[in-house]
Amino acid sequence: MNEVAIKDLLYKMADDQLIIGHRNSEWNGLGPLLEEDIAFCSMAQDKIGQSLAFYTILNDMGESDPDTIAFTRNANQFHNCQLVELPIGEYDFSLVRHFLFDTSEYLRFDALAQSTHTPIAEVSAKIKGEIQYHVMHANTWIKQLGTATDEAIERMQKAINVAFPYALGIFEESKYEGDLITDKVFIGEHILRERWIEAIDKVIATTELVIPDLAAEEAHLGGRYGEHTEHLQPLLTEMTEVLSIDPRAEW
Amino acid sequence: MTSLDPRLNRVDIYKYQQELQPKDSMDQFETYEVFLQTKESKPYQHEGIVHAPNRDMAFLFAKEQFSRRGTCTGLSVVRTEHIMVSPMTDNDENVYDLVSVEPEKNTKKETYEVFYLFKRGKHMQHQGSVSAVGFHDAYIQAGATYNTGKTVLNVWVIRHDDMLFNTEDERVIWSTLSEKKFRDAIAYKALDKIKKFKEEQLASK
Repeated sequence: MNEVAIKDLLYKMADDQLIIGHRNSEWNGLGPLLEEDIAFCSMAQDKIGQSLAFYTILNDMGESDPDTIAFTRNANQFHNCQLVELPIGEYDFSLVRHFLFDTSEYLRFDALAQSTHTPIAEVSAKIKGEIQYHVMHANTWIKQLGTATDEAIERMQKAINVAFPYALGIFEESKYEGDLITDKVFIGEHILRERWIEAIDKVIATTELVIPDLAAEEAHLGGRYGEHTEHLQPLLTEMTEVLSIDPRAEW
Repeated sequence: MTSLDPRLNRVDIYKYQQELQPKDSMDQFETYEVFLQTKESKPYQHEGIVHAPNRDMAFLFAKEQFSRRGTCTGLSVVRTEHIMVSPMTDNDENVYDLVSVEPEKNTKKETYEVFYLFKRGKHMQHQGSVSAVGFHDAYIQAGATYNTGKTVLNVWVIRHDDMLFNTEDERVIWSTLSEKKFRDAIAYKALDKIKKFKEEQLASK
């Protein structure tokens, strides 16, 4: 098995989970309803836990320890897709991103549960259940707001239109795509994207919302190899604030 | 005014501050009662209430509200107004000795779930289900089956179809719950740390 290819896959998944987890946790205390506030932040916490699981595999493969990897890199060393680093915006945007991203990660981990790379297969099988709830949560909200008032439908549609080109960036191919597929480590981003489109179509079809024309959309790529929006570095600076003030701090 | 919390400054929350206006009466979500099964061998028991616009949303909220710690194997929500609640008796009186109900006029049988309270301050506990033609019929039938010795202080009867349960396939949403020790205060050993800090302070004096 190509170890470099596997590390590349692990880094992008771990970074996606860390950044989306940190972003979504920004709703803590500010959510639209008490119950929703707790649910959304609980899921954010799950995602940070999932990032730890993948950083731990990387550590076992000889990379630095999880805290060092998570807290001491600059934006251009991160492999997350740009979708997850965008600011939380209004709740409509956060929900739409949650729906588009979490659907893709459920399908990703569902596929990776069959991976020939045992540690990845084991972690993926384990966290799939958590993400099943995240997807249930996202789908229920999309169905609720996508069939509600004109204002709700309009705002959700606008959020979909903004998020969609970034969501296509989730599926930016790895430099080692061929190796991962040949070694049956991963089905590859192309097949994952097909499954994702089918899955989101199914939910969107139950609402008044529409998926933008795929042929007319250009994916925002680059995130997987360090090209990020201006939003990532401020997020990292905030995330590492305590560490930069006191490197020996414990909590 | 700015906050020490950068998130608050970022959302510019002060922009939205305004005089609090009293809401119109009933201008709020309806309530749903939440029942939890913490282990497969244990009965479902009442855990609390969530506000939600519908049953599906109530389930979403209840999951993180009431099953984000410990263990869970099943969750159910039902609209509060879909529950028939008996009066609550004093500690030594059995509700079945005090409350009698009229026979039902309906003939169509349906499944009803029955919950009993045996001690004030404890949870309503699921006793079992009965096939009955209505709430009152279910109440009487449940009495014959489940009112066996212990004093029953309160009875809830719920039509099974009004309750939303997770499916078997959805049980995996709790599969990693027991590992989430970081959600328990004890995991942070806060008291130990405070004690150590105080001791260090004393020693340095």
